[in-house]
Amino acid sequence: MPEPVAGLGDVDLPATAAETRAQESSSVYWLLVIGGLMMLLGGWLLPWFVEPTANGIGASPMDVVASPPRGVGSVLVDLMCLSMLGLLAGAAYDAVSLRLRRGQPYRWARQRAVLAAVGMVCTVTVWYLIAKRREEPLFGELSPLALTDNAVWLTLTGFALCCLAYGFRRPIAARSGLVLAAVALVIGALVPLIFRQSIEFISWAAGAAAIYTLLALGLNVVVGFAGLLDLGYAAFFAIGAYTCGSLASSRHGDVLHIPFWPYPFWIILFLGAAVAALFGALLGAPTLRLRGDYLAIVTLGFGEIIPDAANNNAFGQTGGPNGITGIHHPSLFGHDFGIDPRPYYYALLVLIALIIVVLRNLERSRIGRAWVAVREDEVAASATGINTVSTKLLAFAIGAAVSGFAGAFYGAELGIVSPDDFQFAVSVTALSTVVLGGIGSITGAAVGGLLISFIIFWILPHAQEWSMTFGNTTGFTALSSVDYSKYVYVAYGVILVSIMLLRPAGLIPSRARKVELQAGGESEPLAAVRGRA
Amino acid sequence: MEGQGEVRAALPPLARRRTLLRGGGLAELGSRAFPTVLIGALVLMIVDVAVRSGLSVAGSQLVNGITKGAIFALIAVGYTMVYGIIELINFAHGDVFTLSAVYGKEIGRGLSWIGMSLWGVSLGSLATRGPLGLAVVLLILFPLTMAATGITGVLIERVAYRRLRDAPRLAPLITAVGVSFILEGSMLVTQGSSNVRTDKEGWIRGTAFTAGGVDVHWADIFVVGMALLMMFALQAFIRSTRLGKAMRATAQDRDAALLSGVNINRTIAATFFIGSALAAAGGLIYSIFFDSVVWNLGFGFGIIAFTAAVLGGIGNIVGAGLGGFLIGLIYVFGGQITSGQWSNSIVFAMLIVVLTFRPVGLLGMRVPDRA
Repeated sequence: MPEPVAGLGDVDLPATAAETRAQESSSVYWLLVIGGLMMLLGGWLLPWFVEPTANGIGASPMDVVASPPRGVGSVLVDLMCLSMLGLLAGAAYDAVSLRLRRGQPYRWARQRAVLAAVGMVCTVTVWYLIAKRREEPLFGELSPLALTDNAVWLTLTGFALCCLAYGFRRPIAARSGLVLAAVALVIGALVPLIFRQSIEFISWAAGAAAIYTLLALGLNVVVGFAGLLDLGYAAFFAIGAYTCGSLASSRHGDVLHIPFWPYPFWIILFLGAAVAALFGALLGAPTLRLRGDYLAIVTLGFGEIIPDAANNNAFGQTGGPNGITGIHHPSLFGHDFGIDPRPYYYALLVLIALIIVVLRNLERSRIGRAWVAVREDEVAASATGINTVSTKLLAFAIGAAVSGFAGAFYGAELGIVSPDDFQFAVSVTALSTVVLGGIGSITGAAVGGLLISFIIFWILPHAQEWSMTFGNTTGFTALSSVDYSKYVYVAYGVILVSIMLLRPAGLIPSRARKVELQAGGESEPLAAVRGRA
Repeated sequence: MEGQGEVRAALPPLARRRTLLRGGGLAELGSRAFPTVLIGALVLMIVDVAVRSGLSVAGSQLVNGITKGAIFALIAVGYTMVYGIIELINFAHGDVFTLSAVYGKEIGRGLSWIGMSLWGVSLGSLATRGPLGLAVVLLILFPLTMAATGITGVLIERVAYRRLRDAPRLAPLITAVGVSFILEGSMLVTQGSSNVRTDKEGWIRGTAFTAGGVDVHWADIFVVGMALLMMFALQAFIRSTRLGKAMRATAQDRDAALLSGVNINRTIAATFFIGSALAAAGGLIYSIFFDSVVWNLGFGFGIIAFTAAVLGGIGNIVGAGLGGFLIGLIYVFGGQITSGQWSNSIVFAMLIVVLTFRPVGLLGMRVPDRA
């Protein structure tokens, strides 16, 4: 994110061609391009892996080979495949030329944009002809499978992203945060529509990706802004969930009674956040005076105590291993959310957007600058009059509050909270998300949340099918029986280690953090003197 | 972080104000009273168990606590050594402990296979044949497993930590968590999610003696004896060898050690080797004692052992041993009093209490920076 950190950095005018290029091609640009190309490839390859015998017609060249279209359809599909190939070849050319001579790799942007637009139009037409008009004479035999439809949508989104990235490179570089937010919101809102056939995907999207994104956003305040490693983040998640569970279930006879408002879920949400923040402050107050790595292990211990306490039915309030059941579902303007995952998903999207706005403003406020100062050099920060303990405590409590918020929502959505949902794996997932996305970068946390959930809930479960299909087709039967869901922990570990070693600032680095992590050690003051930190 | 002391000294009014604001007086009092309160609480717990469940229960739990503590102590030494020398909490250390138990199992199987094909004797049958056979088996199995685990520790340092030695503090901590998860995950993948037998059933059997109705088994004596032996050997090594001196020098001031000709990389690698080898000794002792291991065992044990290291004073090897035994007793008696449900939580809460009131630990050598 080429956002200047207020009060710390200044944006120099680009002096050389290289710097101009660097500014024009922000990480958001790359994210859009790479994301678009991945989706293109995904749409193309999906039928290969999932269902090699699919004979419906869609965007996939495989399907086209299986039952070739006739008439106008063949021209459309050919054109679409050509533009797809063109875009992929362009990316390969970029990669090669970047490696070979570090020359001008980003040429023919306009031509690529046109190519992507052509592909997009073709995809839409093909999809429309198949789905709405059922133009059989055009395409031969029709059996539009859910899978084919997903492939079409992936391809379509891919083309759209490429169009956007190549067509509007300069505006994107200038207002990258805004563009990314807009694209993310649109795609986020469209996800349930895109994958409308598979309900479990929607529940995945609602229940997990958004919650993990929320967790990552909160943890980012603690780890990224204030530089404190919190390894027991799931504890606050649990506290929020259990608060919601106790207040919003019949367990305590519906404690909260407000006239004309039988079930004040939206207040309970904030109560959950407040209780979590209180616990965060209670834990942080004695331990935040110590060095950061002690805090890490203290939070690790705390993260074990809370599920342990929940499991042991502490004070008779948590229901033991079974947890609290029968939590009421929330409602908004008289519309009961029920068990349909979609309203939860949209509510979470709105909440995430709100929280992102709040956190962005916090980051740029006086408090945010104090966090950066404390993170970089505590002694210097306290010498300039910052109360380091209360600054860190605030970060810790805000992070805990966001986690409690997410927990309360999670509890209300599932209708049940039990100790198993808050094990150490949750904390590590949140940490991996933050690290993957970029420590200290809000955009990074959001993107990381999506990526991680995609890996855990989509790639790993599907890897089984893919590997089975692949094993059966190629004859490597050993591949058919691998249980990929066991590899989640290894995947987290590999993400944490490889990101820290290879790209310590994460996929979408925050600018200040990038300089700090790359410079490190002795050259850190030098970077600060240059005004880059 | 260097030069913090000078900055503090240069700013006396600020420092004084901060102490006042933080209620330094209370913390000071807590710090001084801490050892007394700790020992007092432990004695109270023991008396409580003795009164409620009888002397023999208290006695056998005492033995139990000391044996558990011996294993915690062996792991804690690895934490304290690594922390002392590069100021890194090696989160993966607990998992190295579990890994060593798995190594011990696999190496034992390999040895059994060799023994079966050459002489028709498996490791287990040799070990249960008599004291001499057992001694032979242990003398083969311990060095092999400790070497294998030590090499793993060195590899972890080489791949994951060395490049980040001068990076900001958060970076190596995060890779340490990552390494821990890679180890746990690979054990989950290879060993499965349930308890795994380690093929060491009945290696050490029988009761050594009975004192006051309390049976003390040979296995208990073996565990405690081995742990004490290892720790005394380590202490002697660090006190009197060249490499030990290099370690102490590196721990004190890495740059100065470098200037006086200490090979820093080799010294740190040796620290990881020794720490992991001691964890391996702990892992083998554990698997001889319990004959079962589970993929995420090292997670809880890691935090408990780290608590032991902090309690004893991080960076202090004797302290780690002492802390290990104390934490073992607290763990067992806390569990007994709360009927087994809260023992982990009690130890973790202990960690918070120690860090709040006495961050230097009981025998503190290195003062954790007060930020």
